[in-house]
Amino acid sequence: MPSSNPLPSHEANLFKKILKCYEQKQYRKALQHVKEILKKFPDHGETLSMKGLILNYTNKKSEAFECAQRGLKNDVKSHVCWHVYGLLQRSDRKYDEAIKCYRNALKLDPANLQILRDLSLLQIQIRDLEGFRDTRYQLLQLRPTQRVSWIGYAMSYHLLKDHSIANNILEEFNKTQPKTIDFEMSELLLYQNKIYQEAKLFEKSIKHLDDNKNFILDKLCLLEKKAFALTNLNKNEEAAKIYEQLIERNPDNLIYYQNLEASLNLNSIDEKLNFYAKLSEKYPRSDIPRKTPLLFLSDSKQFSSYVEEYLKRSFRKGITPLFKEIKCLYSEETKWKIIESLVVGYATCLETDNKFSNDSSQEEPPTCLLWVYYFLAQHFDYLKQYAKALVFINKAINHTPTLVELYIVKGKIYKHCGKVYDAVVCLDEAQSLDTADRFVNYKCSKYMLRASMIKEAEEIAAKFTRETSHPAEYLKEMQCMWYEIEAANAYRRIGKFGDALKKCHQVERHFQEFIEDQFDFHSYCMRKMTLSSYVDMLRLEDRIKSHPFFYKASKIAIEIYLRLNDNPLKEMGAELDTNTENLSPAELKKLKNKQKKQQLKAQNEKEKQQQLEQKRKELNKQKNKEDSDLEQPIEEELLPEKLERPENPLEECNRFLKPIEEFAAQYPETHYLAFQVYYRKNKPLLMMKALKKIKKNSNTVDYLAKFHYCACKFLLKYEKEKCSYNTDVLGVIQNELKHLELFGQSVEKLNENFLSVNQNNFESLIVGSKILYDLNPNENQQKALDLFKNISKENLSINLITAIDAFRSVAENHYFGKCSKEEVENIRTKLKEFFTEATIFKTPEEQANDLINCVQGLSINSFVSSVNNDITDQMTSVNIR
Amino acid sequence: MLSIELGDITIHNIKQLKKINQVVFPVSYNDKFYKDVLDLGPLAKLAYFNDIVVGGVCCRIDLTDNKRRLYIMTLGCLSAYRKYGVGKLMLNHVLDYCEKDGNFECVYLHVQINNDVAIDFYKKFGFEIVERKEQYYKRIEPADAFVLKKSFEKK
Repeated sequence: MPSSNPLPSHEANLFKKILKCYEQKQYRKALQHVKEILKKFPDHGETLSMKGLILNYTNKKSEAFECAQRGLKNDVKSHVCWHVYGLLQRSDRKYDEAIKCYRNALKLDPANLQILRDLSLLQIQIRDLEGFRDTRYQLLQLRPTQRVSWIGYAMSYHLLKDHSIANNILEEFNKTQPKTIDFEMSELLLYQNKIYQEAKLFEKSIKHLDDNKNFILDKLCLLEKKAFALTNLNKNEEAAKIYEQLIERNPDNLIYYQNLEASLNLNSIDEKLNFYAKLSEKYPRSDIPRKTPLLFLSDSKQFSSYVEEYLKRSFRKGITPLFKEIKCLYSEETKWKIIESLVVGYATCLETDNKFSNDSSQEEPPTCLLWVYYFLAQHFDYLKQYAKALVFINKAINHTPTLVELYIVKGKIYKHCGKVYDAVVCLDEAQSLDTADRFVNYKCSKYMLRASMIKEAEEIAAKFTRETSHPAEYLKEMQCMWYEIEAANAYRRIGKFGDALKKCHQVERHFQEFIEDQFDFHSYCMRKMTLSSYVDMLRLEDRIKSHPFFYKASKIAIEIYLRLNDNPLKEMGAELDTNTENLSPAELKKLKNKQKKQQLKAQNEKEKQQQLEQKRKELNKQKNKEDSDLEQPIEEELLPEKLERPENPLEECNRFLKPIEEFAAQYPETHYLAFQVYYRKNKPLLMMKALKKIKKNSNTVDYLAKFHYCACKFLLKYEKEKCSYNTDVLGVIQNELKHLELFGQSVEKLNENFLSVNQNNFESLIVGSKILYDLNPNENQQKALDLFKNISKENLSINLITAIDAFRSVAENHYFGKCSKEEVENIRTKLKEFFTEATIFKTPEEQANDLINCVQGLSINSFVSSVNNDITDQMTSVNIR
Repeated sequence: MLSIELGDITIHNIKQLKKINQVVFPVSYNDKFYKDVLDLGPLAKLAYFNDIVVGGVCCRIDLTDNKRRLYIMTLGCLSAYRKYGVGKLMLNHVLDYCEKDGNFECVYLHVQINNDVAIDFYKKFGFEIVERKEQYYKRIEPADAFVLKKSFEKK
């Protein structure tokens, strides 16, 4: 260990001991030695640095940094000090800084293996692939006899998509290796084959597989790879043979069947039927060969006889997810009509004499009728015939009131009608029938969140969370994102934007964590030789934010930030005044009392939570003692009050908007959100880019309407601001406008035309009326509102979600500016004509009543005496809604 | 293809027993009844028909009058699932329990006097009407009950 500041031999030995202790994680002992050295040489740089490193592992972050910094200051010529400082930066997730430190360390000690390895890990983590390749090259030069050196170097080329060099390196390396029959060799061979296939060298791939078939232990992977290669070479006969083997191994893998069918080149319906009939006979327990013909059969007679057999068998066996299995057939009207008439027929016959048909001799078990009812309820629900669906689900419940699934479906039907509280009651019932079922528990909790019953949802979810921590806290720890997203939506609905944003940010942080979590795998996978999975993981991580959870959380966050931008919240404490304008003194007093009570309650809750937190911390401490490898940086706490009062809401969007623009570009909604952000930022080129993407990805009425909205908004802004754009920008925009056939168009005319063409379409009506209003807010408010007055069930079809969105926009988000109560009421009653039962279109009083009834009946409240308190809390939130 | 079997009653599925009793019996049982059921062990069981709960049986040991008798509190099956042997399975379970125990003088229960189906059912297993209790039920008509009893010979 060369140093610019050598210690005398006694202390030098101690220093060596420190290193040893550190490697063996004997941190306390190491610190004792540190203390001894520092007694004599209080400024010894490397010792100070080591102290910092060790402290970092014992969770004393700030002290650790201080030590490492002092150490470095005292000995800038020491690679140890630089290395340590880099390690600390890394543990703080400052990867760029860490890389700089490592580079400085390497300047002082270019051949230091440990530092090179650490550098390569960081480079792959941040996907500096070229840097990674160079570092791996150096490592290979220094340690040419090690397997990992070769593989790492080859992998660097593979990741850079330079397949031929990657192959050459691996081939060279394999020449020097004796072939052994073990897992690691097998994985290495499969990895090599993966590169061949990615390079489309299928001949070579097959030869490689054949030559090494005794050394490849993962036979499934071997077969799949070979079949894939053969298919790509059009060697269909050979491929078919392998797919047959694969089906033999796993008769429930749909892809094998599809590939087998394709490689056999079956054309006529009869050939296909014959093919699946044979497979069905061979694999009587597999669903696939029986179900597939239902998809391709087009003759209704033939379909009818096949589906009849399929349905009867499923009802007899009691296949619970039967409807889900064949829902895919419902895109064809003839097919669902056949299914409907068959199953309705079964119901009638089974009701009278337990048989599927009058001329049948076979008597069926009573569960058949139950499953038939259950199926029909889902069938009619899917077709939006909710009244009929309810009839059948109630028949089923009368028949067998103990079956949990029935209450779930009933809740779902209510949900589709918009009856959120009735839906909760059903799911709560389901949940209470089997409290050990985690799926039902989750469903119930989710339905409660949909009804904005956050406290109840938490209580239900708590049945499956650790007792020592707060449920929401636990769910965060478990990265339970469905919960966080639904909770964010619920908080937004009741106007708690800060809490909603907190949930969104938590989701964002989970994704950040997923990315950080790769770190440990870089060295682990290389060592364990799980190379193919490792490369797959890297590729997954590259696109991790394309996951729907990230998209959903981002959409909510951006929408809230837009709202906070347009309509910022008042300073803390000032919010009390907002709703008090119209209240009588008595009401005001009541309200203040209530608020006081709430504050008290909140404080109590907080104290409780703090106690829990304390407990948890102690537990954690204990855990840390056992496992001191914990080196996570401390994250800034997410405070709802702060989150909902951002200094610059539009900038806050970036964290969410940038990734979805990259990874969710296929959704027009992404660009619709982007447009709205850029519109407020007044970025004409970015607006134009978003506008074009909406156009490109829009094929539904909904998004054609949104395109119209954005186009009009753009034109309005453009007319107003174009003098301030520079000439290049102006040129580009004018050109693009011409492409979009918008150049020189008058917004008024465009909108008039749009409205008249799309009279029968609610989405367009909403957008058209909004533009009408925006054209002249003072004069057109009434005109815009009037457009809603004439809608009726005869001339318009609306879906519930759009209706709810529209109503919220007008009532809460001042879509048409501030409207009088009467106008909001008018729209509410209008929309109620379409959705007579939906909770949201009922009067506030009715809603409050529904809520009280719902909460009182809940299983969690049946033993709780404080029900009344909770209900008053909930009622306030209803009124705010 | 039919499978009928018994399963334990736990805190997680006790509400299913409640559902059964609610629709099968004209009398309703209070919360205490269900709380006590959880401690009955093999004396309380659910009956499953193709993995769905369709019936339940609850008994208790009666030690009054210095005798050791088994009393069947409830034994019921959803109407759609009758005549498939669900009741038989439950009752046989109870009788087996008594036999294994060997120290019961008898097993007995109450039946509303007009419930011919139930009376016939128990008679098939050797039960006999031994007494008529007048005004046994409070809120249902007829209010009288038969006591059905099956005695065991002491070993």
